[in-house]
Amino acid sequence: MALMSPIVSRLARLLVIALCGLLAQVAVASAHATLNSSDPKDGAVVDAAPSFYALTFSEPVSPLSLRLVRPDGSSIPLDRFEVKDRTVEIAAPADLGRGTHVLSWRVTSADGHPIGGSVVFSIGLASSAPPLVGDQIDWAVRAGVLAGRIALYVGLFIGVGGAFSLCWLFGGSRSGRNVVAGTLVIGALGALGSVGFQGLDALAVPVTRIAEPMVWSTAMGTSLAHTVIAAFIAFAAAALALLKKGQFSRVPSLAALILAGAALSLSGHAAAAEPQWLMRPAVFLHAMAISFWVGSLAPLALALRRGDPAAVPGLRRFSTAIPLLLVVLIAAGAVLAIVQVEKPQALVDTAYGRVFLIKLGLLVGLSLLAAANRWRLTKPVVAGDGRATKRLVRSIAAETAIVLLIFAVVACWRFTPPPRALAAAAAQPATVHIHADEAMAFVQVMPGRAGDVTVSIGVLSGEFQRLDAKEVTLVLSKPDSGVEPFRRAAGRRDEATWRIDHMTIPLPGTWRVRVDILISDFDKVSLEDQISIRP
Amino acid sequence: MLKSLISAAALTVLGATAASAHSTLEVTDAHVGSSYKAVIRVPHGCEGKPTIAVRVQVPEGMIAAKPMPKTGWTLEKIKGPYEKSYDYFGTPMKEGVKEIVWKGGSLADDEYDEFVFRAFLTDSLPVGKTIYVPVVQECPEGAAERWIEIPKEGQSSDELEFPAPGIKLLEKQSAH
Repeated sequence: MALMSPIVSRLARLLVIALCGLLAQVAVASAHATLNSSDPKDGAVVDAAPSFYALTFSEPVSPLSLRLVRPDGSSIPLDRFEVKDRTVEIAAPADLGRGTHVLSWRVTSADGHPIGGSVVFSIGLASSAPPLVGDQIDWAVRAGVLAGRIALYVGLFIGVGGAFSLCWLFGGSRSGRNVVAGTLVIGALGALGSVGFQGLDALAVPVTRIAEPMVWSTAMGTSLAHTVIAAFIAFAAAALALLKKGQFSRVPSLAALILAGAALSLSGHAAAAEPQWLMRPAVFLHAMAISFWVGSLAPLALALRRGDPAAVPGLRRFSTAIPLLLVVLIAAGAVLAIVQVEKPQALVDTAYGRVFLIKLGLLVGLSLLAAANRWRLTKPVVAGDGRATKRLVRSIAAETAIVLLIFAVVACWRFTPPPRALAAAAAQPATVHIHADEAMAFVQVMPGRAGDVTVSIGVLSGEFQRLDAKEVTLVLSKPDSGVEPFRRAAGRRDEATWRIDHMTIPLPGTWRVRVDILISDFDKVSLEDQISIRP
Repeated sequence: MLKSLISAAALTVLGATAASAHSTLEVTDAHVGSSYKAVIRVPHGCEGKPTIAVRVQVPEGMIAAKPMPKTGWTLEKIKGPYEKSYDYFGTPMKEGVKEIVWKGGSLADDEYDEFVFRAFLTDSLPVGKTIYVPVVQECPEGAAERWIEIPKEGQSSDELEFPAPGIKLLEKQSAH
């Protein structure tokens, strides 16, 4: 026993040492595979849909979930794959269309610890974003807005313009006074209705809630309020001009005409466009010229039909004024069209452009009628030809009908943002500001829509101080669409700004965004948040 | 004879379990107030590229770090002041090696190697917690694998993409 003891104790000690070493080994467990390469490459644009995909990892892995997310957001599970050493070869679905696809993978490596990632690739070209889709349209409200708008135009052009022409062209003739007064009433009702329906439209509530004060106060908080107020004063001034007799009525009627132009230059797409110094005067002149022209039609026709002695001198004055008027009208209109439509292609591509083309067509018809009147009928009418007078009256009635149609068409612009505004809306960036103790990042995706984008990342320390980052990486994922994270390295642009010049965001919706900022070799800060990408 | 048998058995076990997929430490727990031999295991390169440098940050509280030279690699010891003065067997230590770099070599993606240094775990380190030793593998063309992520409170290393290797700190062993 005594002899055995030292041997046993030595043996025991050795055993303990060996066991300790063994335990230390077992404790080393975590292991992370990384994706070394892929086919197609991450971010690649390929000509044709690949027949297979390959993912090569830093060590052998077994796939847990492989799926392909299509450009429309739907995903297909990829069940047919083969694992060859460190590469997973996946049979690709055959029926893929053009656009950006995401190969989203989740695998497990030796330790059973799952890791995931995504390979973004485009077939043909990166998904071009579909057109902006509006919200649900409430047709009752829309009809109300349109009717209000048309009535407002009737009041401002036929009413105010009519009062002006009665005073200035027809020496205060009573012909057509009732019609003009009627259109002023229509205009006032239209202005009132516009406010109510504008409120409904702005709040996106149904017609039944039109009596609610909030609807009205909301509308009066928009730029339409200025237009409506100016229009009401214009209507009042025009009514005053109609009531007064003689030369004194000219002043309020001129004031009404100026206010009508001003009313329309105070709100609307065109008046809101840049450059304001050009656009607002252009709208103002355009509206005043229309008011004068269109306003003259009804009094002229009625005076001619009734054989009013003021008719012929009025017609002569109108004929004299009209060429200059047209120059102003067309010049101002051209300025507005060029700024709003921007590119000729937009005339066909956008709803705004198509409305413009319809308006242009109607205008050509109107101009042909007006030209015929001017060159073929005016002379005989002035000379006292009865048949010519009848034809002129009919022709003017037709012109008025076309004018009303133009009003209806133009009112549709209320719902068709001009290409300029569409382009601006599309270019609007998506942004997120992520602030943590160690650092902060301001991420700006331009444009803020799915498809090809540029990403700029502003990096500062947590105390808004300069942060000398070594590397900045953007990591995006979209768990609700099954898109595992994919990363893009940013390049330094200046002291605090990093940029990814070309990146494809495959889908619209809410993305998880992570900014990895490498501050030093061993120090990395990860900032996480969400960013909303428009369709 | 018995001794060599046990050693052989231990070696066999060691070989079998050393298959790890990223830079890790061979021994993942150690007693505070004692020397620790850190064996950094590099199982593969970066995205298929060979490893041409290995940088290790010696964490605060781990003092008197001494790297083991390696044939074919140049050693670089970056020294600096510690956050406080530590007692090293009676000697106050205020500065020492804070970063170790093995460079100039080339370790292919399909090869395995180990990088070793020795250091003293001061007894000021929190027992029961884990101390992390961030490791960066550098590869040609600026590629790098950075095993530098340290889990936050309540987070596990497993949740991280690039976890830094850690050492679980055990209680100081009583002197014999």
